[in-house]
Amino acid sequence: MISDITIGQYFPGNSILHKIDPRMKIVLTFAFIIIIFLCKNFYALGVMVLMLAIMVASSKISIKVILRGVKPILFIIVFTAILNIFYTDKGETWFEYKFLKITSGGVYIAIFMAIRIICLIIASSLLTYTTSPTMITDGLERLLSPLEFMKNSVHTVAMMMTIALRFIPTLIEEFEKITNAQKARGADLDSGGLIQRSKALVPIFIPLFITSFRRAYELAFAMECRCYNGGEGRTRMKQMKLTKVDFVALFFIVAMCVAVIMLNMNFTHLL
Amino acid sequence: MDTIIKFENVDFRYEGNSDLSEPLAISGLNLEINRGDFVAVLGHNGSGKSTLAKLTNAILLPEKGRVLINGMDTANEEEKFNIRQTVGMVFQNPDNQIVATIVEEDVAFGPENLGIEPLEIRKRVDDALKTVGMYDYRLHEPHKLSGGQKQRVAIAGIIAMQPECIVLDEATAMLDPRGRQEVMETVRMLNKELGMTVVFITHFMDEAVTADRVVVMDNAKVILDGTAQKVFENIELLRSVGLDVPQVTEIAQYLSNMGIDVPKNILKTQDFVDAILKVLEVQC
Repeated sequence: MISDITIGQYFPGNSILHKIDPRMKIVLTFAFIIIIFLCKNFYALGVMVLMLAIMVASSKISIKVILRGVKPILFIIVFTAILNIFYTDKGETWFEYKFLKITSGGVYIAIFMAIRIICLIIASSLLTYTTSPTMITDGLERLLSPLEFMKNSVHTVAMMMTIALRFIPTLIEEFEKITNAQKARGADLDSGGLIQRSKALVPIFIPLFITSFRRAYELAFAMECRCYNGGEGRTRMKQMKLTKVDFVALFFIVAMCVAVIMLNMNFTHLL
Repeated sequence: MDTIIKFENVDFRYEGNSDLSEPLAISGLNLEINRGDFVAVLGHNGSGKSTLAKLTNAILLPEKGRVLINGMDTANEEEKFNIRQTVGMVFQNPDNQIVATIVEEDVAFGPENLGIEPLEIRKRVDDALKTVGMYDYRLHEPHKLSGGQKQRVAIAGIIAMQPECIVLDEATAMLDPRGRQEVMETVRMLNKELGMTVVFITHFMDEAVTADRVVVMDNAKVILDGTAQKVFENIELLRSVGLDVPQVTEIAQYLSNMGIDVPKNILKTQDFVDAILKVLEVQC
């Protein structure tokens, strides 16, 4: 059920990808996503896919897990692909029926788009698979820390994100517990129309909200007891230092970017 | 003896509304806790024992009287962080006191707040996790641990701040027997080996038995205070405030009242067995 969702999950490990500095990883992931959108033909996209394959291989995360992450958005991918088939009438016509017309150009674009979205998903989930949520928020906090005027709010937002991530599994567990408790009392959650079903969720969400507030209150106490006083004067156990691995990763991404641009210039554009 | 926590004539009430209709949660409390002691605080729900815990590290401030930690007044805003560093607190629900998504990062949370050097934090975190026996789990996610393990992580998070005293506010109440056992052993070890002062708030009698000193609270007041043996002699009084005494103590007293030569203040099953064997030997 809900616990099957792998996006945003972290798999502890010791691979090269795990060792890249979170700041570098965030920046490079963004760069990667932008470069995906720079690709204009299959050659350029091929370079990206190759790069992604290298990244997946070096992360030592099983292909199964990665594919499981793509599954939830399979519908969006198929939907986009189908829409794109009819988007253009370039190339030779393969099939025609009244206003529907499938051309080779359309099919190519559909495939291109599908690959692009899949790359996008895999690249961004690789970031979360190989970086602990705390490291991501830490990395973000440090990346944004030069913005002196909003330093405190950066820390606050990072803290909020850490706590939110920390409580997701706890709240899922709680949700399942309450659902079972209500079912045991005869609540009917699985039948009826949409409105009836969403009404049936009310007795689940109200207790969930109440316990969440209680949790928040207790957590605040516990944090105060551990001398939490906002971001000021706080140090971190894990220092972030750029090492050789980071520059190698940077080099790879820059090389890939150059390759993509060259291929874009030398071959015809698909779009 | 050196006093670490001192309550001086403390009154406290939760503010429902500003008029004084709310009953006092703590009333005229005088209590001194000595450095290095293992003190159990007993009481049923609403007796004021959790309030007592929260008063010790400036989470709550007394309405009247003073609470002194190593001579620092909890009402003094400037000393707040020194006080919280001196007296660490572990709460009932382990889920609600773990901040980070990785065990070692959570343990590091306290020292990070204190602004300690990264290398020193690393060392403290490793030491704390080894002390509670959770070092092998340092890279785990807290929500995948058992209740007892989570509570040990929470304790490690406090030890990493190197407090002189640790207050456990019903820290075993939500755990299964095995988890309780784990936590009890850890806390006892902290007291015996590291010489940490422990204030253990509970409503389980068998946990209080091994304490150096037992304080029983009822209705916002301390009604009994002394060694476990002394306190558990007062079966009737304990009963009347909704507390039980350990089963063997009860049997021993019953036998003793019947004129059988068994000491009244037996607390542990083994001692009771020994005493009975002695009686039988004499009679045979």
